[in-house]
Amino acid sequence: MSHGDVKSTRDTIKSENQQRLSLGRLKADEFGRAVSKIAVAQICESVGFQGFKESALEALTDILVCYLCDLGRNASFHANLAGRTECNLFDITRALEELEASHGFPSASDIGHCLVGSGTVREIIRFVDSEEEIPFAQPVPKFPIVRNRKLIPSFEHMNEKPPGKHIPTWLPAFPDPHTYIHTPMWNERASDPCADKIEQARQRRKAEKALLQLQQRLVCNGSSGTSTSLATDAEKEKVQGGESNPFLAAPLQPGEKDVSQVVSPAKPTDEASKGDHVSMLEAFAPAIEAMKGGPSDGEKLHLPEKRAAVHFKFRAGKKILGEPLDLSLQKKGDRGTTAFLRIEERDDKKRRAEFILRQTTEFPMELNQS
Amino acid sequence: MNHNRQSNDGKHDDDSALSDFLASLMDYTPTIPDELVEHYLAKSGFQCPDVRLIRLVAVATQKFVAEVANDALQHCKARQAAVVKDKREKQQKDKRLILTMDDLSKSLREVGIPVTCSDVLKKNGHAFLFFVFND
Repeated sequence: MSHGDVKSTRDTIKSENQQRLSLGRLKADEFGRAVSKIAVAQICESVGFQGFKESALEALTDILVCYLCDLGRNASFHANLAGRTECNLFDITRALEELEASHGFPSASDIGHCLVGSGTVREIIRFVDSEEEIPFAQPVPKFPIVRNRKLIPSFEHMNEKPPGKHIPTWLPAFPDPHTYIHTPMWNERASDPCADKIEQARQRRKAEKALLQLQQRLVCNGSSGTSTSLATDAEKEKVQGGESNPFLAAPLQPGEKDVSQVVSPAKPTDEASKGDHVSMLEAFAPAIEAMKGGPSDGEKLHLPEKRAAVHFKFRAGKKILGEPLDLSLQKKGDRGTTAFLRIEERDDKKRRAEFILRQTTEFPMELNQS
Repeated sequence: MNHNRQSNDGKHDDDSALSDFLASLMDYTPTIPDELVEHYLAKSGFQCPDVRLIRLVAVATQKFVAEVANDALQHCKARQAAVVKDKREKQQKDKRLILTMDDLSKSLREVGIPVTCSDVLKKNGHAFLFFVFND
């Protein structure tokens, strides 16, 4: 706002104040000053002005605020002088006389007169009678707003004993020690690296199982083929786990239908070696079983009749070829190469992850093709 | 004795006038709202539960500001009359009475408030007043 701006209406002042407040540079008394500015503008308008300069308006607002504060201060001073805390009419009259003493008021020279007949009050009476009433433009809420502050609970309230006889119980309580003292933290969980690894592998297997089942289900839903025969095999019923949904395609037995040659990996019949290398074989088991396309070990597998995913199996067969090699290594009982196996394990895990990823990407493509 | 009686009568008149005035204040709504006055009086330590006194303070302040504005208006009109005008456009423009810093400072000086507003501050758009009521 430059000095030369002229404001002629109250509304523009109000909008300007709102703009200033919205800018965020709020000072302590912004609201009071804004209201005073509007009041001053109204008074000037009643006097006869049609426009104001911004700086002049601000100056007059300052003066109004200062006058109010000075009047209050003087009146309270006089009340305190008389031994009172509450001001009355005579305190205000004395304060008014003091403020106007510099430029004079009628009956200023009279000393020892009753304040009732004071010149200042008479002038005010004359002013009220002559001037027409101009109420404030807008309703002003009661300010400042008193907020209920949440107090810190005392020692009594917290049922705590203050650390020291010199501290009374009605004082606010101290904060918790962990907020200002660095206390050591102990890991209370006993760590068992072997059990952790087993647990980790088990969780990984679970995740892979779930992923594969999801894929199978997607394929089932996507394919147009329906099951010709309901599940008669006891195993299948076990697999289905009580699900009597005839629309779900029952998995086919190997050899029931002519399918293209699928490179089937070696069956994980090495029960002996399973015991030795638990993590690896059990991790490979679900992937291998999915490859075979037959239910086993209570796995829930729903394969499509049309075998839309032939390509995938073929390709995947190449991938899995790597794994039987490892199995053969284990068959040899080569314990000296545990480190080597571990590295292989990592590579195989990578390959397995890629395999699963490829399944998810290839499946929708094959579904479209079929 | 006579003097006392006269003064007593005078006092009674004044008393009655004052009490009437205070009663009439409740009907009169000053331009300065009560909430604003209460806020600033509370800031300076003024304690009074009586609304009429709050209204009295508001009216007194209004009177003061009106006086200052009136003086400034007189100055503005005087300045307009003093300037010799040839062109009609300027006359029409000057018919609008605008409250300026110059007129205001003149009128405030009469009241006893010396207002200083340098040109540099004017340019920045703020008028910082350094004035003190009689202390």
